[in-house]
Amino acid sequence: MDCTEARTHLLDRRRGILDEDRRGALEAHLDECAGCRHEDTADAELTRALARHLPAAGAPASLRSSLERRWIGPTKRAERGVDRRAERRPWVWGLGGIACGAALAMLLAIAWRARAPSDAMLGEAVNDHLRVLYSEHPVEVEGPDTHKVKPWFAGRLDFAPVMAFGGDDEFPLRGGSVSYFLDRKAATLVFGRRLHVITLFIFRNEGMRWPAVEDTPIGHVHGTLVTSRGFHVLLWRAGDLGYALVSDVDSHDLTALGAKIAGP
Amino acid sequence: MPRAALEHLDALFRLARRLTGRDEDAEDLVQETYTRALAAQSQFAAGTNIRAWLFRILRNAYIDSYRRARSSPIEPGLTGEDAFDTDASASEPLRGDEELERLRSVVAKDIQAALAGLTLDARTVILLDLEGLSEGELAEVLGCAPGTVKSRLSRARSALRERLRDYAR
Repeated sequence: MDCTEARTHLLDRRRGILDEDRRGALEAHLDECAGCRHEDTADAELTRALARHLPAAGAPASLRSSLERRWIGPTKRAERGVDRRAERRPWVWGLGGIACGAALAMLLAIAWRARAPSDAMLGEAVNDHLRVLYSEHPVEVEGPDTHKVKPWFAGRLDFAPVMAFGGDDEFPLRGGSVSYFLDRKAATLVFGRRLHVITLFIFRNEGMRWPAVEDTPIGHVHGTLVTSRGFHVLLWRAGDLGYALVSDVDSHDLTALGAKIAGP
Repeated sequence: MPRAALEHLDALFRLARRLTGRDEDAEDLVQETYTRALAAQSQFAAGTNIRAWLFRILRNAYIDSYRRARSSPIEPGLTGEDAFDTDASASEPLRGDEELERLRSVVAKDIQAALAGLTLDARTVILLDLEGLSEGELAEVLGCAPGTVKSRLSRARSALRERLRDYAR
């Protein structure tokens, strides 16, 4: 492998996605070539500088709601149009009944939406947990040594996954990997609870729609516990990070693990 | 498709913000992107990668706005292999810790200025890679062969470092 080829693979090697043959050839080259070793170190420093200084905020809420109105609004308006035609039937409801029914439905919808996270967030948490369950290689770095697992994420994410707990006999840490949570990279950590698997996703939370009601105590913070497709999902945020803990274990076990991860 | 398209809003906004350098311009660019996507919805074939499709629309919208602002065409490509003097065989001697120290001392405006000095494709490939796009997706957005993505990215990052050496003094 010459220097030109070696330098095209440095980034993939640091991200742990270079195939074994190329990695071997590249590492043999790096052993011999001080110039490429320097390139590797300097390029890693560039990654850190970009992560530190590039603007990282998601879209402002005003932009999101404006686009949602334009993209999703027309469908909803069309549905409401159908309802209005039904309402015109004289034998259905009186006007007062409709108004009361609509107001009640709206209150229930508001109460539900305030508690429920976005469908996308909940669906993603369960789908990603299922991917972990059915993957032949659910982790890229093996536990239970948290001192090995946590440093593994350095350079693979543009944030440091913060957690106050690295596994114990009750909830052993099986390992970690990098994945995607919706549109962003996430640290994925897999814990065990007897024969059950519990998956934790840590990701940047900016621009995400979180449930308005966060009433489940999780260590020093509060979050939301919901159930979807037979799985419990515990969601909380701390600082600029979001956390999603998913499993089919008992919800008390899940919140107990969540409290350990969030810290007292 | 609308909901699926909106799931990429934050990533699109981040790229727009990093390309334009201003929140207001980024919002305009993202609005324009979704307007174009909405208009072209019928052309969106099932199975197409929606993320790459949206990023490509954003990139084209940015090129158009840039042209309007400058009233002159720009070259969105890497302007050939000589765009970056980063041929490894002709690389400079090892600079030891000096370059690392400079990289550690850069501030946000240095990075913005250095990025702005790159060609659009060099800037785009660096920024899209940071958003986690795969090689295939990057090729789709940039309109290049997948096999050339890694070398483009490597050259672009190297060129960015070269520019940062000048800023971080």
